[in-house]
Amino acid sequence: MNQALLNIAFFVLFFHFLKGEDKVFLNCETTQNSSRIVVAGGSITEIIYFLNSEEKIVALDVTSNYPEKAKELPSIGYVRNLSAEGILSMNPSIVFGEDDMGPPGVIKQLRDINIDLRIIPEEKTIDGILDKIYCIASIIDKVPNAESKINSTLIPDILSIEKRLSTSTLIPKRVMFIFSIKGNKIIVAGSGTSGDGFIKMTGSENIFSTIEGWKSVSQEAIIKENPDYVIMSKRDLHNSKTIKSISENPIFKNIRAFEEQNIIFDDAMAMLGFGPRTIKSVLNAVNIMYLKNE
Amino acid sequence: MNEFINTPSTFKFISSRQFIILGILSFFFLFAIFISISIGSFKISIIDYFLGNLSQIQNKVLLNIRTPRVILAGLVGASLSLSGACLQGLFRNPLADPGLIGVSSGAALGAALTIVIGSEIIPNFMLATYILPLAAITGAAFVILMLFIFTKGFGVQSTIYMLLVGIAVNAFAGVGIGILTYISSESELRSLTFWTMGSFGGITWSLIFPAIIITTVVLFWTLRISRKLDLLQLGELEAHRLGVNIKKLRFNIIISSAIMVGISVSLSGMIGFVGLVVPHLVRLLGGVNHNYTLIGSIFAGASLMIFADLLSRILIEPAELPVGLITSALGSPFFLWLIFKMRTE
Repeated sequence: MNQALLNIAFFVLFFHFLKGEDKVFLNCETTQNSSRIVVAGGSITEIIYFLNSEEKIVALDVTSNYPEKAKELPSIGYVRNLSAEGILSMNPSIVFGEDDMGPPGVIKQLRDINIDLRIIPEEKTIDGILDKIYCIASIIDKVPNAESKINSTLIPDILSIEKRLSTSTLIPKRVMFIFSIKGNKIIVAGSGTSGDGFIKMTGSENIFSTIEGWKSVSQEAIIKENPDYVIMSKRDLHNSKTIKSISENPIFKNIRAFEEQNIIFDDAMAMLGFGPRTIKSVLNAVNIMYLKNE
Repeated sequence: MNEFINTPSTFKFISSRQFIILGILSFFFLFAIFISISIGSFKISIIDYFLGNLSQIQNKVLLNIRTPRVILAGLVGASLSLSGACLQGLFRNPLADPGLIGVSSGAALGAALTIVIGSEIIPNFMLATYILPLAAITGAAFVILMLFIFTKGFGVQSTIYMLLVGIAVNAFAGVGIGILTYISSESELRSLTFWTMGSFGGITWSLIFPAIIITTVVLFWTLRISRKLDLLQLGELEAHRLGVNIKKLRFNIIISSAIMVGISVSLSGMIGFVGLVVPHLVRLLGGVNHNYTLIGSIFAGASLMIFADLLSRILIEPAELPVGLITSALGSPFFLWLIFKMRTE
């Protein structure tokens, strides 16, 4: 009896303290003070470097590994497992976070302390990348910078991607995105993943869009779907030395893309980060896959 | 006879040497709290706090981020160690720990469900801070209910049977977590992994306030059974002859452990080895009678956990290590040494 009362009291107390939390709105208003920036999220770091405002960054998370110089800054840990006190100890004037920033308790602590916290949502399209750049530029008051950099470096690439994909004879290639090969376990991108987003940006079709998330697939499933092209991380190239040795790997036997060596290697973070670099990667992939169309 | 069991003073059976050890442990506990509140990646001077010289942000970091965290670490350390000590006494098995009865895996399953499936059902950010602990508590409560049903109200004769049910429940929860791990996306998997390594970060007063009240009540309530646990060491039959109601004792210990472990795991994730090692440490220091071990475990467990959390905060500042990693890293070699020592003796 006592126990039951205790339990009830506990839940009553718990619910008493439940409070709804405000939803995250994309807030691109210019911040009052952007002198000390803390970033949790690789693509945001990349964008701030892209806007040449890196001198304002005081600390980064571990996913911020591009450009190489960024790794020299103090690390606040992994983007999903941050510490409020650690972030605050860097005395930031503004904190940027990718939408997977966490844990939720830490975000709540930061909000409670009235720090200027901006969580930037991710949209896996070219427009999404441009929006992200403009939003961050607007927050740190660098819009003119963003415009000139986008016009000079990104727009030409975007135009060539569009040009290639807009040919009337274009037949979308059927593509497989391999995240990693460990032994004979092949992890591929299913729907909803950043790999799937990347394939779609290249105007192609993900052969494993029926699976959700990053999953390992059997050799038979790959042979059945028989992709035209395979996209892989450069890291796997280092592991198995050469494209030829990958094609000769017995687990890839009877798969057309491997037999014809239709393999696209790129930096995984560049392809999957959805920052400025991703556009170059898309162009590279589109060039390889659709050049023959012209 | 009754006087012998329900002795009014818990301290009646504590030797003077044990008193001194308990004194030292409680001093350690206070020292741990003081050090842990004073040190952190954010530089704050406690003296300035009392002089009122802190800036607004320093004040908030100290009172709203660091202090609740230290308190939670202490509570969880005390809860896990005390329930470890009780369960080791109840099962008369030095290897018993709070994970054994399956309550932590139940809580883990609840948490995993929220992390993997919850993100699709629950609107983003609504209740995000509270839904995970609530789900974990529900998972723990569900396991308690299962145990209760399978052991017919904890009334089954042999304690071994209880252990086996606990193992089976653990296995069930393991399957559930395995399935969730398989269907989780990469980012959910990451969250899950971090959760299983434990952390006191991101805790707010509104979350730990109910935990403080309930845990404190249960802690004191549990201390009353120490004499009965001593008698139980003579064997269940002997204890029964001496007037111990074994069924009731078992019920009390399982329920109180389940509550303490459920709350701990739900607020901080999985933190290994504390519940197993701390009671051994306390017994090693001063003896085996439960009046002493239970109180000692509370102080030692709380102090160790507060220190472990301090290490997790400052070792790689401004980033943070999962605290479960630290307790396991410290606990496992100690445990090996303990086993080795037991063997050589």
